[in-house]
Amino acid sequence: MATGTDRLAAPATLDDIRSCVHCGICLPACPTYRALGEEMDSPRGRIYLMRAVAEGRLDVTETYTHHLDLCLGCRACETACPAGVPFGSLLETARAEIERGGRRPLRRRLLEAFIFGVFPHPRRLAIVLGLLRRYRRWGLQALVRRSGLLRRIPPLAAMDALLHDIPRTDGAPPEFLAARGRALGRVALLTGCVQRHLFADVNHDTMRLLALAGWDVVAPREQGCCGALELHGGRLDAFRARARALAATLPSDVDWIVTNAAGCGSALRDYGHWVDEDATRRVAARSRDVTELLVEADLPLGSLPLTVTYHDPCHLAHGQRVRTAPRALLGRIPDLAVVPLADSDLCCGSAGVYNVLEPEMADRLLALKIARIVETGARTVVTGNPGCLMQIARGARARGLDLELVHPVTLLARAMRWEDR
Amino acid sequence: MALSASVVAGLQHLLGPAGVVLTREGRLTYESDMLTLYKGMPDAVVLPTSTEEVQAVVRICREARVPVVPRGSGTGLIGGATAPQGGVMVSMTRMTRILELDLANRCATVQPGLINLWLTNAVRDRGWFFAPDPSSQMVSSIGGNVATNAGGPHCLKYGITTNHVLGLEMVIGTGEVVSVGGKAADRPGYDLTGTMVGNEGTFGLVTAITVRLLHLPEAVKTALASFASLVEASEAVSAIIAAGIIPAALEMLDDAMIGAVNAAVGKVYPDGAGAVLLIELDGPRAEVEAQAERVAAICRERQALMVTVARDETERALLWKGRKEAAGAVGRITAAYLLQDAVVPRSKLPQIMREMVAISKRHRLLFANVFHAGDGNLHPLICYDDRKPGELERAQQANEELLHACIALGGSVSGEHGIGMDKAKNLPLQYAEADLNFMFRLRRVFDPDGLMNPAKLLPSHPACGEGFRPARPTLPAGTWV
Amino acid sequence: MVVVTTPALGGALRAIVGAEHLHEGGAPVDGAAPRWTAAPATIEQAAALVALAHDERLAVVPRGSGAALELGHPPTRVDLVLDTRRLDAVLEYNPDDLTVSVQAGCTAGALAARLAGRRQILPLDPPGWAARSLGGIAATQASGPLRQRYGTMRDLLLGVRFAQADGVLTWGGAKVVKSVSGYDVPKLMVGALGTLGVLLELTLRLHPAPDHEATWLASFRTPAHAQDCVAALLDSTVQTNRLEVLDGRVLAACSLPVSAAALAISIATVEPAVRAQEGLVKAIVQRAPGAVQTMGASFWKTYDRALAGFDGVTLRIGTVPARLVETLGAVQAVLPGAAVAGAAGLGALRALVTHADVSVLLPPLERLRATVGEVGGGVTVERAPRALRERLDPWGPVPAAALAVMRAIKTEFDPRGVLNPGRFVGRL
Repeated sequence: MATGTDRLAAPATLDDIRSCVHCGICLPACPTYRALGEEMDSPRGRIYLMRAVAEGRLDVTETYTHHLDLCLGCRACETACPAGVPFGSLLETARAEIERGGRRPLRRRLLEAFIFGVFPHPRRLAIVLGLLRRYRRWGLQALVRRSGLLRRIPPLAAMDALLHDIPRTDGAPPEFLAARGRALGRVALLTGCVQRHLFADVNHDTMRLLALAGWDVVAPREQGCCGALELHGGRLDAFRARARALAATLPSDVDWIVTNAAGCGSALRDYGHWVDEDATRRVAARSRDVTELLVEADLPLGSLPLTVTYHDPCHLAHGQRVRTAPRALLGRIPDLAVVPLADSDLCCGSAGVYNVLEPEMADRLLALKIARIVETGARTVVTGNPGCLMQIARGARARGLDLELVHPVTLLARAMRWEDR
Repeated sequence: MALSASVVAGLQHLLGPAGVVLTREGRLTYESDMLTLYKGMPDAVVLPTSTEEVQAVVRICREARVPVVPRGSGTGLIGGATAPQGGVMVSMTRMTRILELDLANRCATVQPGLINLWLTNAVRDRGWFFAPDPSSQMVSSIGGNVATNAGGPHCLKYGITTNHVLGLEMVIGTGEVVSVGGKAADRPGYDLTGTMVGNEGTFGLVTAITVRLLHLPEAVKTALASFASLVEASEAVSAIIAAGIIPAALEMLDDAMIGAVNAAVGKVYPDGAGAVLLIELDGPRAEVEAQAERVAAICRERQALMVTVARDETERALLWKGRKEAAGAVGRITAAYLLQDAVVPRSKLPQIMREMVAISKRHRLLFANVFHAGDGNLHPLICYDDRKPGELERAQQANEELLHACIALGGSVSGEHGIGMDKAKNLPLQYAEADLNFMFRLRRVFDPDGLMNPAKLLPSHPACGEGFRPARPTLPAGTWV
Repeated sequence: MVVVTTPALGGALRAIVGAEHLHEGGAPVDGAAPRWTAAPATIEQAAALVALAHDERLAVVPRGSGAALELGHPPTRVDLVLDTRRLDAVLEYNPDDLTVSVQAGCTAGALAARLAGRRQILPLDPPGWAARSLGGIAATQASGPLRQRYGTMRDLLLGVRFAQADGVLTWGGAKVVKSVSGYDVPKLMVGALGTLGVLLELTLRLHPAPDHEATWLASFRTPAHAQDCVAALLDSTVQTNRLEVLDGRVLAACSLPVSAAALAISIATVEPAVRAQEGLVKAIVQRAPGAVQTMGASFWKTYDRALAGFDGVTLRIGTVPARLVETLGAVQAVLPGAAVAGAAGLGALRALVTHADVSVLLPPLERLRATVGEVGGGVTVERAPRALRERLDPWGPVPAAALAVMRAIKTEFDPRGVLNPGRFVGRL
């Protein structure tokens, strides 16, 4: 794979673009093409536009930008593509170019300033979430919702709908947890930003399960954001800074760097492509999803008689090519019925902060996803990404559906016979 | 040509702004189908959702004398879904419904934008499938399959698209909606259904299709035989047919293609073989078993290096995945390629293979081959680097020479891709002036104004022009008093 | 142009085919006496005949074996009968390519004899097929039991050479099994009754002769059981070769024990597969419920003879398999004396009606057409005395838009009405 460059016209990037043979096999895999049926909102069409820009046939126009904005970055097209076109990194390069052009409307720039100013900063995020907790508890949220103000600012409405339950964090996970029995090795846990604040229990369960599986787990408290949001948003300089910082923070003497949030894991695996340095390449090479490690362990699982269905987070199935491990793990839980989900790897519309930036399309895709979930008859949806968990939960609430959304690790922890080891 | 404001207004009023694409960026993405050598940007792209809307579009365009170009998924290989004369491109991609499923009568009625494989997916659980399976079937639309009379690996046994189309609804060039055929047998009159399949949008726009469904066979056996060279593999093919066995599919790949597929999909085919034959037998289990043994024996008699049989559905899917993604996978070994689609009588396969080796040497270009060996349909990919000056020209020259050689052996210009823009100029190789003229006049019945997908299928040739009169038989002297 | 006198015209015709092969008069076609009958020896002669007819505004009626002349609207004019029986050569036989090219006058039986040596078949078996010309089978889209597995002439005709209305020799299609080069002109010609061109040469797709064919007769107490059996067979993995329904009268005509309805089921493949599927077929029949007996190899010949030898009115009924019971019932209700048989798996049936006169036939025909019209089907009078067909529409209704297109095609290619005028759908 060519080294990540910041210009579409750079030879390495142009080579990648030209490896597209225009066969169209990506079209049915693309959520926005499924929704709209238009070529320019398909991967093939977007590559064609990028190529036109790179070759000077097209300028970076508002319309061009719009079609790229609508792309989820889900990389389902990469899974489908027989020619191996690295669409994800092409998109990021194209977005970087758009960013540098600096001609975005004010509203968008304000929104992005908020998003990139808060989400990738765990401490700032904690403060904002604390404020929001009070905003809800003190009835302000109800007031604002009734006022209709949110309807006029769709991104705010989106964010409002997503944040349903803001738990008080029961503290960060321990910085070290020893393996049960003889250690197979040592792993570092990426605690994530949204994950550590809104799904802290997932981090706790992750560490306990890894320890039970025989790994010493370290979870450095000082770790920052993996930079996924900035990468997918085309803010490549900011991303590179985060990548370097994280690579320096994470211990280098670990066998694996474990992620339990698909978006983060996918970004880590791209580190080497964008930052060609030893530390970042090492992080990329050692990045694994928690399910990939747990599936190799012999975990003592007890009966959990539930009917569940599994949704593939894009950045796990397409970004990291991990599909069988989570399913295999679920399959090992006695009495757990796993109903296959049609279009399981079609994006739910979360895609990082896509559901805030492009709420309309995100809603359309969410509706498709909910319809497929309803078809399974399952009441529990299992998926390994906080964004998906929040997005699908929002969709269920809006439709009055009684759905439980859980991370695979949570379900495993529930089924675990902890006393057996 | 630019569209008049009134035409644009009419289209927008009819379909709403979300149904009409006017931006340059949008229209740019519609300027080619899979054969990017041919580019033709439409002046507008419309996305109707019903037959009535399609008819209204055609009427608006007819009145304004604006060309109409239908488009499905845009995966054709003949430059058929391009607008070299501008005009309005009608994308069928929002007409994707299954209108009726009638398994008791083994048929279904669908809208043209429905993806081919999705129809089979909808009925496979109940034991049925839609037989035409072009390699593009995971994305190509049934309307597109009908327009080009698409084939695919299984057409050796099951026939091509036209053998599975029972009826059509079409908005023809006059703006009329014509329904022909249907699910009942033996309708009186001309077989307009059969005549319309393969018209490549030059008669009009198909808006509904009634198709035949087949029951899934009891057993399927897929085998791979590798040979030292294409010639031996071709001889094995002839021997299999001569033994009275019609496999469901008989696909051949050469070493260049084997390399590309292995790189794309993972090690599916053995490296080092000069050619591999992918043989699929389906039908009643006992029949499949008996035939598989015979086929394996024949391959060994013809010096097969190795014969393996897929043990389960996963292995079978892997063997096929390589074949179906071959055209895309070739992106790994070449920057660009021309894809040929000529046919020779099967018995002439070894001859055309030798000819191909000679042409490839003569022009110093790599030929990667994947094709339907069972029916003599060739798909050589003539690889070239479009950045090197002169290579495209050499590739085109090689293409022409190969085509001429195929015709000389009694073959056809196109086995399944169709004519479009790419092969229109070659039709005179296969047809005399009277034959071309007949086709021109047939087209004129459906499209008197010449607005339906102009510049496609028929060449610009005197026989395809007004006023041309084919030579008539000379009558004996003294016929007239 | 000066009007040519008849003797001069006769002379011109003689000059084309030779005196021995031109007759004044000749056997009538559908009750109409021709002015001349000519039997060309080459396709060029045939083309020249048509060209002359075009110039002189004669009505040309092609004729092969003459087995299907009582078809369609009775002809208003028959000036020149173009007898194709001398055009009977097998031009090119390529067993390795599974293709054969024949002249239109070659009979299906003659071709079969030629193919037998290489164990190949052209799987077309309309009643009396062996004696019928292939051009005639193509022009009338005639079909028989083998269509269940192999389709009809429509699916087997690869290429066709024909003489246009003005005599120009024209080729359509290809000589290879797979081709999509230009329009599918052969499809246009199949079933067209020669009204767009006189068929002269046909290139056909062949199939390997199956190793072994076994046939069973399944008898049922009610037609509903027969239909259930058909449905079960179609919804199974059994690969039927022929699947015909026979009612009591057809059974009697075949000298078989009579039941309310019966199915003749055949499977043709390698012997082990025949045996393997036999069990499944028998189980399906017994479940219907029905009784099954094995038939000998001569059954299909007997069946063919019974249908071909029938001497009354033949109706071709096009319906759908799921409506078998309704259709049989409808025929029984309106034509109590009729015998019905046909391809049950496709809904392509024949009703054989004896001693029918118009007053009896017209209302039943209309009611039958109404019944099958519900699924878009139709009833064609495939064979009936001229007097009968003069008083009714032998083809049945054709949707207006489609008919308009057919008319436009006919006008384009035969504006003078030279080719078999007035007989086809819409009196085209």
